[in-house]
Amino acid sequence: VSVSTTETTPSPQLLDQPLLTDEDNARSHDRARVHDARRQRKRWRLLWLLIGPGILAMLGENDGPSMIAYASDGAQYGLGLFVIFIPVLFVMAFVCQEMSMRIGAVTHRGYGELVLQRYGKLWGWFGAGDLCLTNLVTLIAEFVAIRVGLAYFGLGSGVAVLLGLALVLFSLSGGRYWRWERTVLGLAIFNGLFLLAAILVRPHLSTLASSLSFARFDHGSLNTLLLLLAATVGATVTPWMIFFQQSASADKGMTPADIGHGRYDTALGAVLAAVFGLGALIAGAALMSHHGPGIQGFAGAGFPRALEKVAGGAAGTVFALGLVEAGAVAILTISASTAYAAGECVGVSHSFNTSPRTASLFHAANVGIALIAAVVILIPGAPLLSIALNANVLATVLLPVSLVFMVMLANDKGLMGRWANRRSTNAIAVTVLVLVSACGTAYGIDSFLQAIHLLGS
Amino acid sequence: MSGPQPDDSLRAGAAASLQAGPPREQLLEEMIMHLERDQLVVETFRPVSRAELGPYAGAALWALRIFSVVVSLMVIYAFVARLS
Repeated sequence: VSVSTTETTPSPQLLDQPLLTDEDNARSHDRARVHDARRQRKRWRLLWLLIGPGILAMLGENDGPSMIAYASDGAQYGLGLFVIFIPVLFVMAFVCQEMSMRIGAVTHRGYGELVLQRYGKLWGWFGAGDLCLTNLVTLIAEFVAIRVGLAYFGLGSGVAVLLGLALVLFSLSGGRYWRWERTVLGLAIFNGLFLLAAILVRPHLSTLASSLSFARFDHGSLNTLLLLLAATVGATVTPWMIFFQQSASADKGMTPADIGHGRYDTALGAVLAAVFGLGALIAGAALMSHHGPGIQGFAGAGFPRALEKVAGGAAGTVFALGLVEAGAVAILTISASTAYAAGECVGVSHSFNTSPRTASLFHAANVGIALIAAVVILIPGAPLLSIALNANVLATVLLPVSLVFMVMLANDKGLMGRWANRRSTNAIAVTVLVLVSACGTAYGIDSFLQAIHLLGS
Repeated sequence: MSGPQPDDSLRAGAAASLQAGPPREQLLEEMIMHLERDQLVVETFRPVSRAELGPYAGAALWALRIFSVVVSLMVIYAFVARLS
């Protein structure tokens, strides 16, 4: 892979090649606008053109299970540790996602294909397998979140399934990455509904101050605390985010010259996601201060209904709509990460700048995984909240392997040249790796020992 | 039957200018100018070279892999046990 930081001049050999595709044409069109904005020094337009993958990865991860995890944190333990923990986690997520964006911009290749080609098919397929498993479980949880949100309005699972699948099909129509990205960005901004919910619960300063107490961690089981910690970590850094942002950065046509704007994009996404996540935490904390039910009592449409009781119909409605939005955006981004991984690992076209005819596997994987998840949630009696929280835990447990390969790629001078990681980035990445591994492992071992009755709950 | 509309002449002019437009090579050149060479689809399908993993790195990756699978199985087992 050649690494270039300057605009490329056309080579005579390329002009002779008949292999320029519609995908090249579409990407060239998008890049022409970026070049024009850069040449004319239109800074805001340039930023507008280059934002996307970072915000989508971050707000996509503020998904149904994550928002339920944040609200559960607040309802069970108050703001306490989490009001510090959530922003710190998003700083960690920024470090990981910046690496992901940088690798995509420099190599123009997705995570799946780079691992497969650089470290062998076995590791590539392991990564893709982990991704498919966690994505499927997470997608089920996203449909659950939509179902929970819609249940507040008296709508059933069928509507949740139809809405989710219709969004996937609509976003794919048009055969352009730009269109897909802007459609999902337009939806993702409604993640701000969780901030509105926090405002609507009208938290009193004295209540907020009392919920900051760390003493609340003395109550409740260790396992529930570990579950929420692992789920909260899994709500900020996940395998699909790594796959998604690297592939989307490459699909968008980002180059090393765009890395600065890619960092702005990722940082903006991290700030928005942290603020909106704190919104869900504060809204959940309102339930604790009103002596709301325990965590399992929030299943079904419980969260919005419980909020309605303590803070009025508007807060419940906004929280329910927020869950629908969070689930919908995550369905689009997580399905996209699955489709990128499938195309990259099989070695066929994998871009939104293609039609279903030219990239049938990419489009089929995108719709197919959403369809499978949708079918699962139609099964009556599924333990909704448990699935939602365990989806994040499973992602946390399987994340370290993906993170290690990403750090290896980001340090690979042969691929990255002068854009390879600095020591400080590696130090933070290792810290993230240790924290993620510790949270997932602690919960996994504690739950297992309880399940085989070697440890009391 | 309506006669020629004002727009028709514009359309005819546009069609003529398209036919007499830049040659294919020029269009290709403009297209490629906006992309880096290794961004072209034909280039991205060329695999990157394989990296050599040392024996310690390989063993560490396998250890991490096995560890993550074991912990995942614990999480799944505990989840299923709670359901039942």
